[in-house]
Amino acid sequence: MKRLFALNRWLGWLTLSLLAAALWLVFTAPLDYQQGNSVRILYMHVPSAKMALFVYIALTVFSAWHLWKKSETADILAEASAPVGAAFALVTLVSGSIWGKPMWGTWWAWDARLTSMLVLLILYMGIIALRNGIDDPIKGGRATAILAIFGAIDLPIIHFSVSWWRTLHQPPSFGQASTGSTITGPLLPPLVWMSVAFIFLGTYLVILKAREIRGRRILENLETERTSHA
Amino acid sequence: MGGVQPVLKAIYRLAWKDVMADFRHRSTFSSMLFFSVAVLLVFQAAFEPDPREAQRLVPGLLWTTVLFTTIMGLGRVFQSEEENGAFEGLMLAPLPRGAIFFGKWLGNLALSLMVMVMLVPLTLILFNVTLWSRVPMLLFLLFLGTMGLTALGVLLAAMTQTARSRETLLALLLLPLVSPLLIAGVQAMAVVITSGDLSGPWLNLLLIFDAIYLALAPWGFGWLVEE
Repeated sequence: MKRLFALNRWLGWLTLSLLAAALWLVFTAPLDYQQGNSVRILYMHVPSAKMALFVYIALTVFSAWHLWKKSETADILAEASAPVGAAFALVTLVSGSIWGKPMWGTWWAWDARLTSMLVLLILYMGIIALRNGIDDPIKGGRATAILAIFGAIDLPIIHFSVSWWRTLHQPPSFGQASTGSTITGPLLPPLVWMSVAFIFLGTYLVILKAREIRGRRILENLETERTSHA
Repeated sequence: MGGVQPVLKAIYRLAWKDVMADFRHRSTFSSMLFFSVAVLLVFQAAFEPDPREAQRLVPGLLWTTVLFTTIMGLGRVFQSEEENGAFEGLMLAPLPRGAIFFGKWLGNLALSLMVMVMLVPLTLILFNVTLWSRVPMLLFLLFLGTMGLTALGVLLAAMTQTARSRETLLALLLLPLVSPLLIAGVQAMAVVITSGDLSGPWLNLLLIFDAIYLALAPWGFGWLVEE
């Protein structure tokens, strides 16, 4: 793990330069025919939405890995993922809301994807709260892992059931095989660059957080050892 | 020990023990019942529905009240075991962990259902709604929903039992996860009230939710209590 932390520094600089390049593309991209300047919010909104989900998938994998192999590394990574994912979910909701006011005429709509993202944010907060609430770190890690896995099972059900109440949201901006891409031409490259930059950003933040958590656990172990000797 | 029968008997005994102990001194049942009446009172004060509005509100009213009341009962599922150090004893019983889960679940389900049987007529009386012919169907829907709700709930109660501020945490974890159940339950009940029709996609969703959580919650419980 230590080597990973050493590499992370370089990952940080790489992320920064990627973000700078992507932002330059975002601000030089032409305006959207209908949306004007507010289309630029989307370059942040879409990648963070993807990342909020992607981090949750990673969290589920770490959790399963921890339950199965009792791996401390997996537990640390799972603990580190939750706040990062929560941050992405929050950015998604806030940026979407700011975009929604001029475009849809409302800050919020109870549509499938908005509701699922909100539930995802609450779930992330629940996972963080559960871990903080249990004093025994082994029990806490296991309970959190099981909760994360149940959340992963529940999220598709939530999405599915809310989408029956439908819906104001546009279809996904890219990655839809049937209709083809709905974003084309000069608007696409900045989105791709921002998505890549956000993947690096997410990875960087998770590793950074993991480093802090590992340090704290070592310190706590030393502390209990010290008090048991005294 | 061979066969399924001893396990089923153990599940039943465990549930019976919880229900009896509750009637004798813990009295979760009566607190749940009066809490649910208090929730109805709050709704009445907050919305002051006339009978026609009330009829439209009944599904939401019933489900919200059931949800809050159940959370209250769930907070106590493992409380006495935890307080008396009996949880380890329970875990030492020569039973599959899944059976212990189902015993706890059945006891909690029984208490919740007893509350509901009283809650539905009380709601209709207090809100002046004349839907008496639909009462069995309403109860049936609540029964279906409560199966999944308590399955997930007992698992989360086991998860949060040793945590600080355990009841707040339980509510925080349970409410978002059961939102599909709530949506399906309310929609199915609205269909029943307007057309008397007990079928359709929402009922199926309710059944799917029950099946998933009744299958997975014992498994999660097994992982959780493993030493």
